[in-house]
Amino acid sequence: MAGADSPSTALRRRDLCTRGIRLVGKMRSDVIDLLDTYVERQGLDASASVAAVEGVPPAAVERWDEQTGTQRLLENLAAYRAFRALLAQMLEEQREQLGEAGAALGRALAAVLLQVSAFTYHLEELLRLESRSPPSEEGDGPPPRPPLSLFEQKLRGLGVLRELAQWALRSARDLRQLAKPSPGTGSAPGLAESP
Amino acid sequence: KNLKCVTHNLHKMTCTWDVSSRRRHGQTDICYTTNDFPPLVCFKTKEKKVEIPVPDSSTTMTITTNSISGTAFATKEFEIHKKDVLFVPVTPRILSLTPDFSTSTINLKWSDNGSVFPNGLDAFWQIQILRKETMEKVTEVTYYSKLTHEDVILSWNWTSDMPLECTSHYVKIRCYINVTQFVGLKDWSDWSPIGVIPGKDADPSGSGVFPLDTVVAVGSDVTFCCVHEEDQNITTMSYGSKSYPMIQLSSRSYAIRVLNASASDTSGTNVVCRLNNGMMDGTVLFVGYAPDIPQDISCETPNFLTIKCTWKPGRPSGLYGKRRTKYSLFERKSGKNVSCEVNEMNRERICGFPVLADQKTYDFILGVSNPIGQTESSLLVDLTQRVHPKTPEKLTVSGSNSTSIHLRWFINGSFTEIRLLCQIEISSGHSERKLHNISMPGGKFSSYTAQLNALHPYTKYQFRVRCSAADHFWKWSDWSRVEEHTTSEA
Amino acid sequence: HMQYERVGADVTMKCGSMDWDAAVTWTANGTDIDESHLNGSYLILKNVDLTQSGQYSCYEGSSWHLKYQTYLRVGTPPKEPVLMCRSNNYPKGFYCSWHLPTPTYIPNSFNISVIHGTKEMICEKDAVPKNRCHIRYLQLFSTVKYKVTLTVTNALGKNFTTLTFDEVAIVKPDPPESVVAKPVPNNPRRLEVSWQNPSSWPDPESFPLKFFLRYRPLILDQWQHVELSDGTSHTITDAYAGKEYIIQVAAKDNDIGTWSDWSVAVHATPWTEEPKHLTTEAQITETTSASTSSFMAPPTTKICDKGAMVGS
Repeated sequence: MAGADSPSTALRRRDLCTRGIRLVGKMRSDVIDLLDTYVERQGLDASASVAAVEGVPPAAVERWDEQTGTQRLLENLAAYRAFRALLAQMLEEQREQLGEAGAALGRALAAVLLQVSAFTYHLEELLRLESRSPPSEEGDGPPPRPPLSLFEQKLRGLGVLRELAQWALRSARDLRQLAKPSPGTGSAPGLAESP
Repeated sequence: KNLKCVTHNLHKMTCTWDVSSRRRHGQTDICYTTNDFPPLVCFKTKEKKVEIPVPDSSTTMTITTNSISGTAFATKEFEIHKKDVLFVPVTPRILSLTPDFSTSTINLKWSDNGSVFPNGLDAFWQIQILRKETMEKVTEVTYYSKLTHEDVILSWNWTSDMPLECTSHYVKIRCYINVTQFVGLKDWSDWSPIGVIPGKDADPSGSGVFPLDTVVAVGSDVTFCCVHEEDQNITTMSYGSKSYPMIQLSSRSYAIRVLNASASDTSGTNVVCRLNNGMMDGTVLFVGYAPDIPQDISCETPNFLTIKCTWKPGRPSGLYGKRRTKYSLFERKSGKNVSCEVNEMNRERICGFPVLADQKTYDFILGVSNPIGQTESSLLVDLTQRVHPKTPEKLTVSGSNSTSIHLRWFINGSFTEIRLLCQIEISSGHSERKLHNISMPGGKFSSYTAQLNALHPYTKYQFRVRCSAADHFWKWSDWSRVEEHTTSEA
Repeated sequence: HMQYERVGADVTMKCGSMDWDAAVTWTANGTDIDESHLNGSYLILKNVDLTQSGQYSCYEGSSWHLKYQTYLRVGTPPKEPVLMCRSNNYPKGFYCSWHLPTPTYIPNSFNISVIHGTKEMICEKDAVPKNRCHIRYLQLFSTVKYKVTLTVTNALGKNFTTLTFDEVAIVKPDPPESVVAKPVPNNPRRLEVSWQNPSSWPDPESFPLKFFLRYRPLILDQWQHVELSDGTSHTITDAYAGKEYIIQVAAKDNDIGTWSDWSVAVHATPWTEEPKHLTTEAQITETTSASTSSFMAPPTTKICDKGAMVGS
């Protein structure tokens, strides 16, 4: 459990949280735009319900308000690392399936991938701030799965983007929780004690 | 009574009969003679059938039925004429039934049992394809072959109008042999035991939408099917944004039929099967065109190192990514083949081919293919007649004296096989532009020089140069950059 | 014994076990019924309407023994109910409320089921108002849709309606509270407006609200708008001097859902110069009064016209 914060750490965390909230807000609006483009380009039905897609980290969480700050950061980090790999795979699939015809969609995907990577680094930065080294990534990649059919690929892409949009929402709330000043101490709670 | 004799091979025949009396009986005594073979042949049998040789003309057979105790209680003599003998070929047996799911084709192999028959007989094979739990006949085909006194394995392919995964396909075959020299009666064989290609709906855990991610030509009629698991049922099946009436194939498989499919979007047209639990399954259909024959194919070399071929692709295929139309350049004389990296979004296509040592003429075949079709276009090129040099570079101007200057420029490439013709454009102030042509032997990655005289002293001039092949002009290179120079005072 | 019949139905009542040809007397709410309505001892009521609800009794002709009595309720089967679900205290939970588009005139029972993915959730009925219940979020940030099915049943029929929605779609805060507008001394064109987060919104720090302020002088119809992404106060700097203004505020979660209804309207007039020749007693009184602008239609998601702010 992290000891009481030094004022500079608290200030640094607050700054990182604030910038993280802005970054994840921008990412969410880009993901929502990308979702519209993706649904339209892939000929999908926007209201289609997509079963939980294997390998895509669900944003849904129970007793969210009881999570500690460290839990929040670690779960966020694991999720965005997974999304980084998933988006990279989607990009590869788009190139293979659409070639030049999918260039615009590819650029939009690449832009979101860039922001996911940036936010992943941001989370690692927050963890380092609490002198916790981010877990290593070896063996983090999704387990090899049987090749999906094209329609399954399309649905998985939809599932990935929807889940990412929800994660962006959750991350903003998580960061606001982390940025909350602890009652009485006027500084953000030590990560482990966040309410 | 009712003695009937059937032969399967024109040599032996099996005769069967009925016994009218209801008394229980024991063994039966058989005696027969064929007027071809005088001695009487007799033997006992428990069955009401006997196999004896097929007579050339007729056979006399006496059948004595004995009681359990062995005393004869009924005797009858039959005169069996060859013309009354029925020839029924042996029931054919399916050797193999092999599905090719990617093309929805079934391959049937069977033996024609030809060794039993004399050479050259005509054989007719009736093949039936059946489907659905109701064994609905889908097609019946008569296949013809000629027997060759050997057992030949025959093979026949059939392409279904729907993916083989959709539901089980059943196959049976029977044959008719036109034994011209056999005077007796002739009939079709029995149907073979049924062969089956099980559909996904026969597999308890089978499910999915088929065909899976396939490509068809614009205007095709396509049947899609959705196979679902036991505890589910289908609410709708749609192609693109339109729902289609469903045709039941079996309790777990429904189909829709899309007629005259139109070109799909870049990511294909989705076929979606919605299930009652809210989930979806689907497949993607790519509808495009076979490649057009390339138009205006033209090849040239900028530097005698590579050959650049361009062409107009014609109608876009509508297929992208890994299904895009692919091009390859094959040169017949050298046998060299190059696949072309082409951006399918560009109107014009371009492909590079290496200049080969000691080869002046090239017999190109531009091969074009995509999953729907292929075509090609050919072109014979004499490279020396298709030189389109690169833009002259590093143009420099130096003054010899007040009325003449010295020009030097560089052209990237190896033109040793030809003479170059270069054109120098001279312009100054408002005076008319003058062109000065000069030809020189081509060099290898070399610079070229020219001297211009009769210029005006103390005058500002702009020079630029372009080059082409001197013999067999094809195209000028682009103009070099303009270089300015002022002649010295007189 | 209660008997329900549809409006417009033809009703036949037998006099208990009495024969068809027995002499009987029928009364409705104690009043004898004319013989023309009888077919033998059967009472025939054609094309009944609501007014024919009541107590029907049958007495044996001579002995006046009560042979049969029923209470007839004439009504209609329920139409498809109107169901609305909303989260005004996100992320705690959401409530669903319902009503029938037209009355049925007979008792109805409502049953609501809330399914999230494969889980059935409990909708705890609120004591007041009757047709409402609330659900606690077990999971947050879920992409799985919620499916709410409301079934209404009465003696004459049954109907239902279903709503399917995402967690984020139904988030709609209550209007901002304690809206106050004050003139700014020595500033004839300014008004200072302040308000508070709706008390029902549990965690404004992690789930910050943004606000939408609209104001106009009473003499004009055209509203002016300003969106404020944080803070709970704003100074209007372009007010017409001396004109009374009506001001309202709406709230929305910073990232999700739709705008709240408009707050209660407040009125204020910017500070005006004290007229020189008047006696010093003339006072400028601060006029702040609250009135419900009944004529204001509650904002839908699309709050205003040009440069509209559409709830994202």
